[in-house]
Amino acid sequence: MTDQWVSFSRFGDAELVSLTGEIDLANAGEIGKAIVGRITEAGKVLIDLTTVSFLDSAGVRLLDALVGDLLVHGTRTRLVVGERGAARMTLQLCAFREDVLTTDLERAAAELK
Amino acid sequence: MTQELRLPWDDDPDDLYEHAPCGYLTTLPDGTIVKVNQTFLVWTGYTRAELVGHRRFRDLLGSGGQIYHETHYAPLLRMQDEVHEMAFEVVCADNTTLPTLVNSVLARGPAKEPRAIRTTIFNATERRSYENELLHARRRAEDSERRVQVLQEIVANLAAAPTEAEVAEAVVRAPEPAFGAASSSIYLVDPERDLIIAVSSTDPTTGNWDDMPRSSPRAVARVAERGDLHVVGSVAEARKHFPDLVDNMLKSGRNTVVLLPLTTGGSDDRAGPETLGVLAFSFTGERKLGDNELRVVRLLGQQAGQALDRARLYDDARRREERTAFLGETTRTLDELHRLLPRARRLVDRVVPEIADWALLQLSIGNGIREESGGPVPDAALLESAEQRATMASVPIFPEPGDPLGCVVLPLTARGRVLGTLSMRMAPDRRGAAAERSFLIDLADRAGMALENARLYEQERETARTLQRSLLAADLPRGDARFAVETHYQAAGQDLEVGGDWFDAFMINKDRLAIAVGDVVGRGIDAATTMGQLRSAIRALAGDEVGPARLLEGLDRFVDRVETARMATVAYAEVDLVTGELVYSCAGHLPPLLQSPVGLPEFLLQARSAPLGSRAGDIRRTEQRLPLPAGSRLLLYTDGLIERRTRPIDKGFELLAREFGRRRDAPLPGLTTALADLLVGRDHADDVCLLCLSLGNEERIERSLGADRMQIAQLRSELRAWLVAHGVEAECRDAVLLACSEAVANAIEHGYRDDPFGMIDVVATVTAEAVEVRVTDRGTWRGAVTDVARGRGLQLIRESMDQVLFDRTDGTTVIMRRSRED
Repeated sequence: MTDQWVSFSRFGDAELVSLTGEIDLANAGEIGKAIVGRITEAGKVLIDLTTVSFLDSAGVRLLDALVGDLLVHGTRTRLVVGERGAARMTLQLCAFREDVLTTDLERAAAELK
Repeated sequence: MTQELRLPWDDDPDDLYEHAPCGYLTTLPDGTIVKVNQTFLVWTGYTRAELVGHRRFRDLLGSGGQIYHETHYAPLLRMQDEVHEMAFEVVCADNTTLPTLVNSVLARGPAKEPRAIRTTIFNATERRSYENELLHARRRAEDSERRVQVLQEIVANLAAAPTEAEVAEAVVRAPEPAFGAASSSIYLVDPERDLIIAVSSTDPTTGNWDDMPRSSPRAVARVAERGDLHVVGSVAEARKHFPDLVDNMLKSGRNTVVLLPLTTGGSDDRAGPETLGVLAFSFTGERKLGDNELRVVRLLGQQAGQALDRARLYDDARRREERTAFLGETTRTLDELHRLLPRARRLVDRVVPEIADWALLQLSIGNGIREESGGPVPDAALLESAEQRATMASVPIFPEPGDPLGCVVLPLTARGRVLGTLSMRMAPDRRGAAAERSFLIDLADRAGMALENARLYEQERETARTLQRSLLAADLPRGDARFAVETHYQAAGQDLEVGGDWFDAFMINKDRLAIAVGDVVGRGIDAATTMGQLRSAIRALAGDEVGPARLLEGLDRFVDRVETARMATVAYAEVDLVTGELVYSCAGHLPPLLQSPVGLPEFLLQARSAPLGSRAGDIRRTEQRLPLPAGSRLLLYTDGLIERRTRPIDKGFELLAREFGRRRDAPLPGLTTALADLLVGRDHADDVCLLCLSLGNEERIERSLGADRMQIAQLRSELRAWLVAHGVEAECRDAVLLACSEAVANAIEHGYRDDPFGMIDVVATVTAEAVEVRVTDRGTWRGAVTDVARGRGLQLIRESMDQVLFDRTDGTTVIMRRSRED
């Protein structure tokens, strides 16, 4: 059900969660469940938001919860967000933790080495 | 004490006892006869042996006498020891009865115990016949008294009977109780038609019911002519004098007929008594009427005649009064309806059933008008021919007796022209035909005038409407992206003349727009013409450097020359489309209503002065300036919108402001119509005129969606496309999309938390400067948001937009505005 917004793959030794399209109140909950099911065992997680065209506060809540959980479990994680665009704007407006945001995948993977 | 005279012969006491002129009885206290004299035995035919020791006195009485004996005789005797002159009928041996008078004395013993009753019995045969005579006389006296009573009652009834019909009814009921007649009938004289008409009878199977001419040889007509009572004592007499009565007398078994003329006047030496009717009553068996009775019969004739005379006068007066009232009421009710068709219909409805059972109104106006009511419908060919005759000759046609059409046909004329005809079938009227004709002619005159007025009204109304339509339809400025004008004109309710309300909008120069709404005093074609003149005057006076105040001064001068425009009211405003500055002035007109993009609507109450050309009011014209932000709406309107008989005017203002405010997000097209519908409805007594100016290139998108999170994406996609189409910069666009999504999510999660079927309205407008979005839900507001997640949503709205307002007057409206230059 959530395949249109979320897909999973490996990027190096990290679990890569790729989000795409519009993430809002309507789908954030299901997307969250799908992601949690896949990353509990992962040691490193990269969440790619570069093709997310819309992100609302429900999406922010989802990311906030995910990042919080991962950090609690000692899983290292990065959010990849383009320098501009809807997702970046929303996260900025919410004053999301800058330290987990990166602008491209390569750099994010490097930061988790 | 005088010594008893010695008789010339020795009177044997026994013989005296036996043959005394009265009967003697001696009985025991229980009535058993123990001694009886010969006289009694002779009278009654009993033998002594039959009575003595065998019968009691009461056994000799009839059953009525026995009861009387029991209830009166015996108790009295016991109480008083004697009774006197008690009447008993003694039953004789041959069963005949002997009327007697009885005296008895109760003899008591030493211990006062009853021992014997001694009774004398007098033969009362002679005495009883005298009493019968008395009784008979008393009966006669009673009859006479009863007759007088019946007559008194009838006279009282006659006095109370207001109409001829009721008098006739009272009279016809008199002879049976008064004289013992078998039946009676009454005939009335109709002098106008020279007829005698049978109107009522206690036994309609008797007699001849045809109307008869007054000259008829029939008995009733003869007696009416002669004016004196006539008694037909027997069939033989009838055969001799009035053969027309014979058949009926034989058929209904009558032997005596009394024909009583009902007369009035009499004392008037000029004409002698006038006969108004004839009362005929008859008896089975030959009946002799005594002098007394005949006197009473004549008296009845006079009383009835006078009552009839009075009733006729009263009938005439009442009929005249009714007809006058009918005419007055007809004119009044026709005046209530101005238009031709309703008026024509009402005329027919007035006539049927009140004065006619069928009526047809045909008018040769326009395409022809035909209104019909009642029935049955008369013969079409006869009617048409009568209508033609009436129209051609312009004279009313009244039916003669026996006319096969039987209808009145009245030509309706006005200003020397026959408009058409009114045909009616009326109940045949026995009398007053002449008065009736003049009434009908009067009715035709009034109807003709009323219909002609309605025709003229239609004509003028049509002209006025055409004129008004052409004036109001004049081209209003369109196609300028900086503003839009929406107008609505609604004529007063269907039967009222056009009023003098108007609106106008025109460009003074390419950047200056003028708008006006005004109201001319009066109605109809004059008001419409004046309105056109004023409208032109405003267009002529307006100029770059003039402004509202000087323009109104110019109109004051204009009104001095065009008197019909005096006291007209005008609201006039100019808008600088570059700066957005509004300048306005009101001459006696209702204040314009302004809805700014944010906040509540407000009435513009400055720059007010008196109506145009007012002599008593303050006509120092001033003007007021204020900036109109893009997205403002300004409403000018006439008093028809506000004033309703059922609503105080301040409520009207309140309602207008509220409804205008509620619709600030509604599309401009249809807004003025919606306001008019809501405030005045369809049935209104005044014209309504509205003009709404919407300022700023108000491009807008409006969507309604259910309280369903799945629908947010769809909304967003439409909104995105719309923003893109308007060239809204990406950053602004994303911010608007985010804020809008959050506001909708907020409405779903909060406003409609308990209502999955709630609707959310989203309106976005875009101008060169900014994008504005309004998100409205009608759910419940729960005070400060404690939900952290929603708190983030609100934070996002605040962060992404420049201006955010919450309006919680009716549900929640979030008004968000973001500037495009960033």
